[in-house]
Amino acid sequence: MIFQLAVRNILAHKKRSIVTLILIASSTAMLVFASAWMEGSHALMLKNAVEIYPGYIQICDKDFPAATSYDHLIFDASAIEKILNNQPNIASYAMRFESFVLFSGDEKSVGAMLTGVQPAREVYLSRLAASLQRGSYLTTDDTNQIYIGAELAKRLKVEVDDELAFVGSGADYSFTADKVIIKGIFKTGLFDFDASSAFINKKYFDHIMAAQNLATQFVVLPKNPQLAQQVAEILNAELSIKVAEQYQAQSWQQRMSGLVQAMELDSMFGYITLGVIFIVIFFVVMIYTLLAVYGRVREIGVMRAIGTTPSQIMAMLMLENGLLASLSVFAGGIVGGILAVYFEYNPIVISGMEEQFKQYGLAVSSMPTIFMPAMIVRDMTVMFVLTLLSTLYPVLKVNRIPPIEAIHHV
Amino acid sequence: MFSMTAKIAWASLVRRRVRSLMVVIMIAISLWGLLFIEGIYDGMTEQMIDTAIRVDCGHISIFAQGYRLDPDLYKQIADSAVIDEVLQHDQRVRSYTKRLQQTGLVSTAHAARGASIYGVNLQDEERQCSLSGYLYPRANSDRIQREYDFGVKLCGALIGYKLADKLQVKIGSKLIFSAQNLQGELQSMVLKVSGVLKSNNMLFDDKVIFVSAATARKFLGLEGQVSHVAILLNDETQTLAVQQELSREFPQLEILRWDQLYPALLQSRQMMKVSNMVISTLIFCAVSLGIIGVMLVSVLERLREFGIMQAVGTTFGQIRNIVVVESLLLGGSGFILGAVIGGLTLVYFRAYGLDLSVFSTAFEQFGMDAVTYAVIRPSFFINAAIAVLMSTLVSVLLPLRVLKSSQPVEIISKL
Amino acid sequence: MTAEFLEIKQITKVFQPAKEVKVLALQSVNLSISRGDFAVISGPSGSGKTTLLNIIGGLDRATSGTVTLDGQLLSAMSEAELCLTRREHIGFVFQAYNLIPVLSAKENIEYVMRLQGSSNQQCAERTQQLAQKLSIDTLLNKLPNQLSGGQQQRVAVARAVAATPKLLLADEPTANLDSKSAADLLDMLQRLNEDEGVTIIFSSHDPVVIAKAKHSIVLKDGEVVADEYLG
Repeated sequence: MIFQLAVRNILAHKKRSIVTLILIASSTAMLVFASAWMEGSHALMLKNAVEIYPGYIQICDKDFPAATSYDHLIFDASAIEKILNNQPNIASYAMRFESFVLFSGDEKSVGAMLTGVQPAREVYLSRLAASLQRGSYLTTDDTNQIYIGAELAKRLKVEVDDELAFVGSGADYSFTADKVIIKGIFKTGLFDFDASSAFINKKYFDHIMAAQNLATQFVVLPKNPQLAQQVAEILNAELSIKVAEQYQAQSWQQRMSGLVQAMELDSMFGYITLGVIFIVIFFVVMIYTLLAVYGRVREIGVMRAIGTTPSQIMAMLMLENGLLASLSVFAGGIVGGILAVYFEYNPIVISGMEEQFKQYGLAVSSMPTIFMPAMIVRDMTVMFVLTLLSTLYPVLKVNRIPPIEAIHHV
Repeated sequence: MFSMTAKIAWASLVRRRVRSLMVVIMIAISLWGLLFIEGIYDGMTEQMIDTAIRVDCGHISIFAQGYRLDPDLYKQIADSAVIDEVLQHDQRVRSYTKRLQQTGLVSTAHAARGASIYGVNLQDEERQCSLSGYLYPRANSDRIQREYDFGVKLCGALIGYKLADKLQVKIGSKLIFSAQNLQGELQSMVLKVSGVLKSNNMLFDDKVIFVSAATARKFLGLEGQVSHVAILLNDETQTLAVQQELSREFPQLEILRWDQLYPALLQSRQMMKVSNMVISTLIFCAVSLGIIGVMLVSVLERLREFGIMQAVGTTFGQIRNIVVVESLLLGGSGFILGAVIGGLTLVYFRAYGLDLSVFSTAFEQFGMDAVTYAVIRPSFFINAAIAVLMSTLVSVLLPLRVLKSSQPVEIISKL
Repeated sequence: MTAEFLEIKQITKVFQPAKEVKVLALQSVNLSISRGDFAVISGPSGSGKTTLLNIIGGLDRATSGTVTLDGQLLSAMSEAELCLTRREHIGFVFQAYNLIPVLSAKENIEYVMRLQGSSNQQCAERTQQLAQKLSIDTLLNKLPNQLSGGQQQRVAVARAVAATPKLLLADEPTANLDSKSAADLLDMLQRLNEDEGVTIIFSSHDPVVIAKAKHSIVLKDGEVVADEYLG
């Protein structure tokens, strides 16, 4: 009977019900969409940042990330390779040796990173090969050919087939210099990376830099990238047992914690802004509930007079609010979900923001949403609880009026 | 008659204390939230822009033609004395600094990194951006004396903290900087770290080494030339005018504003304005909805009362005024309350800042300060007042239409 | 001496609408009502009729004095106990706004029975019985806003007695009705009193209505000035 009353009251006061429905449904849709958008664009930014070069898992000396010097190399690369070859949860891996050198073209000199890579393996682990702009990518037989970032090429004023000289330090701290030919030029879109990176076949690099069986890091691609952290832990265990405790495997979440935190910070601000909007809507719903409930105060007084207990009145009113909230939140969730799906496949492009993102080293031209049912359910639950809470005060207030006053309410 | 109108309007609001209070609180909280968001977001953006302007490019930068797109030692400002003459006599210029710049490789025994040297005059930099204030960790005044100095032999260097970290150097460590000089020869020089800087400007902290102008000149084989002049004005609004005048004075040079050098920064500001406007609109749409509901019910439940008033001679216009004044009183009270708590909140965060150091890694990554100081602008309050006024006036339109169509004087005659 | 069905002893009610303002609504009221009585409380406006009915029905509490209904001391009951007493033993008919607007006439009548937990069949049988008695059996599916004032009051009476209360209280039940409807309603109340044995106390200032009662109580300025059984 209480349920019947609740439903009838919702239908009897159509205007109030519709206003509340529209308010809550649009707020829910807004929350669902905003969450999907924030998470989606962050996920893409991180994915790009990870996949362009750093990779999902990196193995290096424990002290290497803080102090990138030759004191903290992997001194026995083959031992690491042996472990990685026996790992069932790894799709592929490659080793790299990063060093800083001074490049000199005909006209200019620029300090940049020269990294020895395994070209064939690197294809699976980074987007270097896929970012080719002019010329061609490296092969395992290349010698003194380099693959250089577009912005670096611009700074050095060189093109494909041009010659460059470089000076740097070998792994044994000896002075090294060589001439190299530009085989290919790449552009990842990450300005800083394209302006300060060049790659060369590690086989040749080892030869000129005395880096045989040495590496600054191994990059690993797990079979399931979502499980990067777990795979990193497994690798850590293996490394400390079989090689040395000095080496560690870190997932991208650990290595790029600054970026991850930045995304979290951005989300936090997004939610704060949404929060302010929702507080206002909270009050609006509270006000409408108050008006609706006080409009029926005489009726409620009569019900109390003829024997309906306060808790039954409470149940009836909260049921009304609950039904309305459920309906609204469900409708909003559906609309928000549809938007999330649509914009996942047709991302929003805000051309004005590209400059901003470039400044932060993020290669982003579009911002997709991400459709995550769990997140949508979370958002719907939050809105449902908020809506219900906002109706609590008016219901409590009207229930506290003694029946006799309620009946004679003016 | 207005005092009677106001009295009746006020009495109606007081009679329905709970819902009137709810509307006032709703307006106040939305205003408080909006002011907080605007103040903090604006503060964050302005801090970022301010750091870049003060430490890096100033309001206006002067380069030789083509230098910015292709920094070359051949493209230098040849005669800086003429520029000195002009800038020193311009009242609008607060300070300016001249720098020599070159990119190269900085290395220690164990590591190497791409970096740039900035040949500067420390007193000029101090006047421009209080550079000594960025010494890190925050040095006491004795240390500042020692660290903010290139030494007697002028081979000291002030190095960004991120670069220092990567090279694993500290005060007293030796660095070798290699680069091409004007003649195209590869040169190296030894520098000793005399101080470490944390400016929260990404570029500086990661790539810049300040050396004495004389040292840079000698190293690069330059004479009177400079690479870059950074100018700070007393009043930012004068930037365009000063730029235009300098461009006319020095047509052979490239005179650029900060937003032309870093369009991303200007974009940040513009995006902030747009997003604040969107948020305000959403908030005040919701607020209007709340006021509409209350005013509508308020009118409907007093139709008999209005009918009686009309029966004793009150005009419809006067009744309409009562309703309008009621709405304005609600809006006005909400605005005053919201402006006070919002204003106090902003004053607090302007003085003490919002400490987000739990996200310190993120802030360091992007060269921002983990403590954000809020900004207070009169425009926040003016815009909010306009929004509240519009909300209250728009909200009262529907109830007035209902009032008009209900014909209160006819209602009492029905019973 | 057997205890009376309803004993009202030294009931005083003082209202304090504002800080310095005290209104003496009832002053040392003493009354006895027998089981099966059909009593009317009359008096000019402001004499305290409604206040007295509210106190008898447990909707309001006296400032001092006691009310005993069928051996139970109402004045000593908690709010929850009073609510239960109203549900189980007392029926109310108000001057206006009696019915729950979203329920049909039938559902309104069944309302208190359902609160008591009666089955569908019990509710249906009792409703049909009362509806026929009160000549509203053709109106059972209508909503309150589809009924006239008189019809609404009859539905209200049906609801008030549906759960077989011991006592029915009606506050100016005919005030908003035309004379014919008022007379009809009174007839129905009389019939309920005779057939079902419900004790009925109602308030009125209409002499025609007052004349139909068995027991007349007159209030003036909060005091009982007359208390007599009519022929």
